[in-house]
Amino acid sequence: MNNSDEHAVVVESLIKDYGSLRAVNDVSFTVARGGVFAFLGPNGAGKTTTVEIIETIRRPTSGRVRVLGMDVSRHKNEILARIGVLPQGFCSFDRITVGESIRYYSRLFRRGAADVDSLLDITELRNTRDVLFKDLSGGLKQRLGIAIALVNDPEVVFLDEPTTGLDPHARRGVWDVLRGLKRRGRTVFLTTHYMEEAELLADTVAIISKGRIVASGSPDELIDRHAPFLCLTLRRVGEGTIAVIRRMGFEPVGDARGGVSLRVKHADNVQEILRAIGTAGKPLPGLEVRRPTLEEVYLELTDGKMPDGVCVPGGAA
Amino acid sequence: MTPRIVGANLLVRLKTLSRQRSAMFFTIAFPVILVLVFGAIFTKTEQMNFDLPVQDLDQSSASARLVEGLRAGGVFNTTAVPPDTDAVAYARDKHLTLLLIIPRAFGEAQSRRLDGRDTGAASVLTYVYDPSSTSVATKIQYLASTVDAVNHRMTGSRPFITLAERSILTKSYRFVEFFVPGIIAMAVMTSSLSGALNANAELRQKGILRKLATTPITRADWLLSNVLYQMILAAASTTCILLVAYAVFDVRPRCNMWLPLHIVLAVFVFVGIGMLLTPIAREAESASAAANALLFPMMFLSGTFFPVEMMPGFLRHVARGLPLFYVNEGLRASMVFGDDATSLRCAAVTGVVAVVVFIAGAVVTRWDREA
Ligand SMILES: Nc1ncnc2c1ncn2[C@@H]1O[C@H](COP(=O)(O)OP(=O)(O)OP(=O)(O)O)[C@@H](O)[C@H]1O
Ligand SMILES: [Mg+2]
Repeated sequence: MNNSDEHAVVVESLIKDYGSLRAVNDVSFTVARGGVFAFLGPNGAGKTTTVEIIETIRRPTSGRVRVLGMDVSRHKNEILARIGVLPQGFCSFDRITVGESIRYYSRLFRRGAADVDSLLDITELRNTRDVLFKDLSGGLKQRLGIAIALVNDPEVVFLDEPTTGLDPHARRGVWDVLRGLKRRGRTVFLTTHYMEEAELLADTVAIISKGRIVASGSPDELIDRHAPFLCLTLRRVGEGTIAVIRRMGFEPVGDARGGVSLRVKHADNVQEILRAIGTAGKPLPGLEVRRPTLEEVYLELTDGKMPDGVCVPGGAA
Repeated sequence: MTPRIVGANLLVRLKTLSRQRSAMFFTIAFPVILVLVFGAIFTKTEQMNFDLPVQDLDQSSASARLVEGLRAGGVFNTTAVPPDTDAVAYARDKHLTLLLIIPRAFGEAQSRRLDGRDTGAASVLTYVYDPSSTSVATKIQYLASTVDAVNHRMTGSRPFITLAERSILTKSYRFVEFFVPGIIAMAVMTSSLSGALNANAELRQKGILRKLATTPITRADWLLSNVLYQMILAAASTTCILLVAYAVFDVRPRCNMWLPLHIVLAVFVFVGIGMLLTPIAREAESASAAANALLFPMMFLSGTFFPVEMMPGFLRHVARGLPLFYVNEGLRASMVFGDDATSLRCAAVTGVVAVVVFIAGAVVTRWDREA
């Protein structure tokens, strides 16, 4: 079976041992072409190990990995020519400028010098072209890393934690760059700890925990599958109101600001609750209804249980 | 091996160097300073010029002529010590290492001897010396031979046995001339070995090697660009050393095709050794410690600062096992003695070592993350 037309990456039963430690334990997943795939998981889950095996720079203990239809153990050079990589904790030469770094890396590839200007545009680095690497801020360093990952006009771009350690503005700067890549039809393999990032950018996510994939699918699918409820938050409610809700069989959890949160199955439940409060002669509270976030799903899946804070504003968010 | 990739690497290395003025300065300046310091030290003793305080108790024309005779050799600059002082106390007070006393009646004894009135007439010159001085033995030797010469001239008798000197070298050489090739070899070794080692350790530590692993660059490209970079540095520092040695000490060694050959081979050898050490010294700090642990013994044992012949027997054998020894010998043979046979022999040894070490270095250099 040849998946190369639909799939940028196919991983089958991948295992990686470091001595007695099984860092990746029988992992299988696929990455479709032309979308953003987010690989999520806590520290030490095996993300970087998996990604580096796909990038051909680590050897698997067992299992099969194909990139653009080619086996990683047999077609290292062909694969490297067609992928771009931002390693975790990217660093370049301290005393080389942004423009020079991009030119340097582009010379390493056969296709010859990349269009430095357009890479600077894509990553919004035009103004820092002549700044030495050591003088760049963290966000600019990561953007330079992404520009460098693009020098060979790759079909698949692997970004290992491109936004870790960046402030909210710098992070959004990187997101803009990633959206640009998506628009240009590249396949982006994004490794991250940030769920909002995945929810915002990814078409598909896979969550890895302790070396195993614990869930995969689109962010919506994951939320629907693992957190099939709504979060209802009522503000400034008295004891009487809480008693009314309890009697209906719900379990409200108090928050620090005198409100309560509870899980409901349907929007209909919200109406029932409000009606019951009104019937009991209590004042109608301020309210907010929302879906659980991917982060809440993630916490449940990687921790084994839905944390108490779920659906409590300011708790898990 | 791809010239485009080698060129790109070389450019990055050179740009980095040019933006690190202090590193560039010290790379070049260190050997130059050594040449200046050692050259100056040894130029001084070579002239063999000593002060000799003389206490003339006779104050005759004969004693004046003797002092004149002592000065004639050019070795001693005599100074007069007042006749009415105690010579030993005087020497101690003034920190003199050697002081000569011409006794009273020196002139009278001499004239009795010369006009035949008393063929047994003699005179004893006493020297006061400081046995704790390291240089005094040499001075006393010179004094004895100078006095001998004065004796012969005075009595007119020709000695039966005299010594004539003939160096094994056709020309007479000064110490700096030997020293300069040694410093060139040392500079090439230091820069190549620690340069290759540090560059690798630093790039590994920063994770740049991990990024490079995902590009088409090969080990051969990487090694070759390191070697070319070190060759450029070696050419620059050799040129500086030669220019300074010429300008300051008027050293004019033979600079023919042997010079670049020995240097190129040395660069391969020491970059190769640096590559070999890289997997051992993973962190940048331990890398420079490892480099020093290797560089210093090599420097001292291979005849850079003093001849290998001065070392005890077993160390001489050790020296012959060190690559720097052959670079030193080869450079001296070609630059100082014009000895093509020795130069060739040394180049052959260095060449073989270069091939072995470089291939071994290439084998242990790993790109991928399994290293
Ligand atoms: N070279 C190695 N040798 C031994 N163990 C390793 C090596 N690299 C990683 N590990 C271990 O394998 C496990 C997975 O590491 P990996 O770097 O893949 O995690 P990660 O998901 O990328 O974590 P993070 O989010 O912190 O980057 C960890 O327990 C780590 O300590
Ligand atoms: Mg990681």
